[in-house]
Amino acid sequence: MAQRVVLTGLGVVSSIGFGPEEFAAGLRAGRSGARPISVFDTTGFEYANGCEVVGFDPAEWLRVTDPADLGRASQFSVAAARMAVRDAGLDERQLADKRGLVSVGTTDGEAVDLEALLETSLNRGSAAMDGQVARRAPATMLSLAIARELGLSNVSAYTIATACSAGNYALGDGFDAVRSGEVDFALCGGADAMCRKTFAGFYRLGTIAPDCCRPFDADRQGILTGEGAGLLVLESLDSARARGARIYAEVLGYGLNCDAYHQVAPNQESIERCMRLALADAGVKPHEVDLISAHGTGTQANDVTETRAIRGLYGDRPPRTISVKSMLGHTMGAASALGAIACALAITHGFIPPTINHRSSDPECEIDCVPNVSVEADLRVVQNNGLAFGGNNASVILGKYSEKEFAS
Amino acid sequence: MTTAQRLVITAWSAVSPYGIGRKSFVDGVVTGAPTVTELDQERWQGPSGRGCLVPGFEIREVLGAKGTRKMDRVTALVVSTVGQLLADGGIGTGEDTALVLGSTMGSAQSIMDFTKDVLVRELPYLVDPAKMPNSVMNCAAGACAIWHGLKGPNTTLAGGQAAGLMALDYARRLLIHDRAAKVLVGAAEEYSAERAWLDRHSWPAETPDRVLGEGCAVLLVETADRALPASGRAPLAEVLATESRVYLEGDPSKVLVACVRSVLARAGVEADEVWAAVPSSVGDRGRDEREVVRSLFGSEVVDRVPTGDVLGDTGAASAALRIAAVLSVAEHSPEAAGKVALVTSADRYGTVACSLLRLA
Repeated sequence: MAQRVVLTGLGVVSSIGFGPEEFAAGLRAGRSGARPISVFDTTGFEYANGCEVVGFDPAEWLRVTDPADLGRASQFSVAAARMAVRDAGLDERQLADKRGLVSVGTTDGEAVDLEALLETSLNRGSAAMDGQVARRAPATMLSLAIARELGLSNVSAYTIATACSAGNYALGDGFDAVRSGEVDFALCGGADAMCRKTFAGFYRLGTIAPDCCRPFDADRQGILTGEGAGLLVLESLDSARARGARIYAEVLGYGLNCDAYHQVAPNQESIERCMRLALADAGVKPHEVDLISAHGTGTQANDVTETRAIRGLYGDRPPRTISVKSMLGHTMGAASALGAIACALAITHGFIPPTINHRSSDPECEIDCVPNVSVEADLRVVQNNGLAFGGNNASVILGKYSEKEFAS
Repeated sequence: MTTAQRLVITAWSAVSPYGIGRKSFVDGVVTGAPTVTELDQERWQGPSGRGCLVPGFEIREVLGAKGTRKMDRVTALVVSTVGQLLADGGIGTGEDTALVLGSTMGSAQSIMDFTKDVLVRELPYLVDPAKMPNSVMNCAAGACAIWHGLKGPNTTLAGGQAAGLMALDYARRLLIHDRAAKVLVGAAEEYSAERAWLDRHSWPAETPDRVLGEGCAVLLVETADRALPASGRAPLAEVLATESRVYLEGDPSKVLVACVRSVLARAGVEADEVWAAVPSSVGDRGRDEREVVRSLFGSEVVDRVPTGDVLGDTGAASAALRIAAVLSVAEHSPEAAGKVALVTSADRYGTVACSLLRLA
């Protein structure tokens, strides 16, 4: 018998705030995380804005681990995990007795550390690399660091490296693991730290916006790179009820597929198929969806292709379709996790986060992106999209929790 | 969805220091010939002069010139292994076929090469945009999907030596939740100078006799009720149970034992029913793992599958290659039919995993 799966804890490290309250306030206010990049040297780039996390002190969140043993992405990941567990009202020691899944999605892992090692190697030779930095570089650390810091041994700790949809992959796998009862809880999401190689790559592709990210706008010029982490606590409805936990939202289903078409260019038909898979899994009909949190990167190609796929599935009157990347930038592996958290908060607090920086809608993107100002809304079903390099798509469907099980 | 569905391995292939394709792997396991070679120091400027490389693995020679100009080594290993598997079995692909791939970080060499251009070019953005996907960890899985038309779930798991077992467990969830009809499950690691340097600095105290290897093994996993009726593919083994855990202190032994006991209990298998147990065995850590497993099952069981460290430290590919080794031995051992095999892995970063198979 499949169990219903609910979200009971949220952890957020983002450029517009830490923790679910600050994050929700930022989303509602349409706060922008954009600023001149300071985490790496931007000499030689004509423009370099990004959505950095500022004022983050890893020591605030780490009790067991020496911050120097973790890269920046792992630090974000652990901080968001601890926040999510705390937010769920769970005791870390009690969690240690349960069987769990920790799953963290990422695009770049600890690429910041790899760049530092390379710099050493170029300046002083490969024999001079720092062992501590080398040891923390593998991406598996993003999930293992959570287990270690929270004292969780009876967990599978996965780092899912499916680039910019990885947060949804992690969330979906956690949903399956809780649904079948094979784990008592799942701690899932995504994390990434801003790195120069990815900025340079997107810059070279002509997809970094000079000032800010304007998804679905006629004059959009691309993404801003961002960073942060979003982690969510998933448990069965029975478990949440038994301990009187607050329920943000129910996970109704998810879908994932691969374009098998092009490493970089999105594919409309395949994205549409991914969304169909998600709706079918959730047992939801298109007309029942109240809001789509799009991948919405703000590039020419993504926004046109994604909105066409949405119209392909939803017809001429698609649900309102927003992009939180307008506020957070593209946080890579954290993006769809932060998107899912935004959806859960939108459901809980009854509002739709806006797509900010909007001036004039692109006639090629025929959706209502809720420009600039959030609106009040009673949301029953919300879809969160994640698309990625490699054609790795994943959509997650969240629903407002009610005692009666959702049925079309 | 039903959790009672039985999972079976119905095909496999490998590209390894034994050679390209399944047959060379089976032959290599049976003969146990050493694979370590002196490396061309011009080409491989790593910290060590020795390694276990796939012989003759020149990408354009193996896969042809078309579509391989920007392809990196780990991607080529995966594309080639999956290609062998599909061709051997005449297996079709499409929307119902998933790929789950374990990897340490994709290609460390590609990441470093791409980043190098940012650091050394006169302008930091004068990178080769066509090589950007290579610097992202899901490159191999995405490229393999394009090459072979794999439109189902396509997941890259970043792990250490246990990555192949984690991929197997993840694939199980995809199958029991009906997200794919069949899953190509594997893991891959390339040899490269950058990987070798990272390894050297990460684990300087490891025994000097540990050499790095490379390779890729891929299994075709499907549910038993689907495999035979749909395609006539006979099971080679049933996957009874797979589990991974995290060890929090420096020594994985206790968690390894707990993990082994847990999969035995879940599969309803007694310890004395285990016919072969295949621990990591490479370097100091591998030898420790082997001693723990030996203490549980005895020498005869641990020595049944003679992988040892003959392929070198194959990183993320290690556990997947060892499953392939179990299947290779079974192929030549009539008495293996119906027997239970255990593959374990305690990686250096904190994961312990094991998988229990019943050989067909």
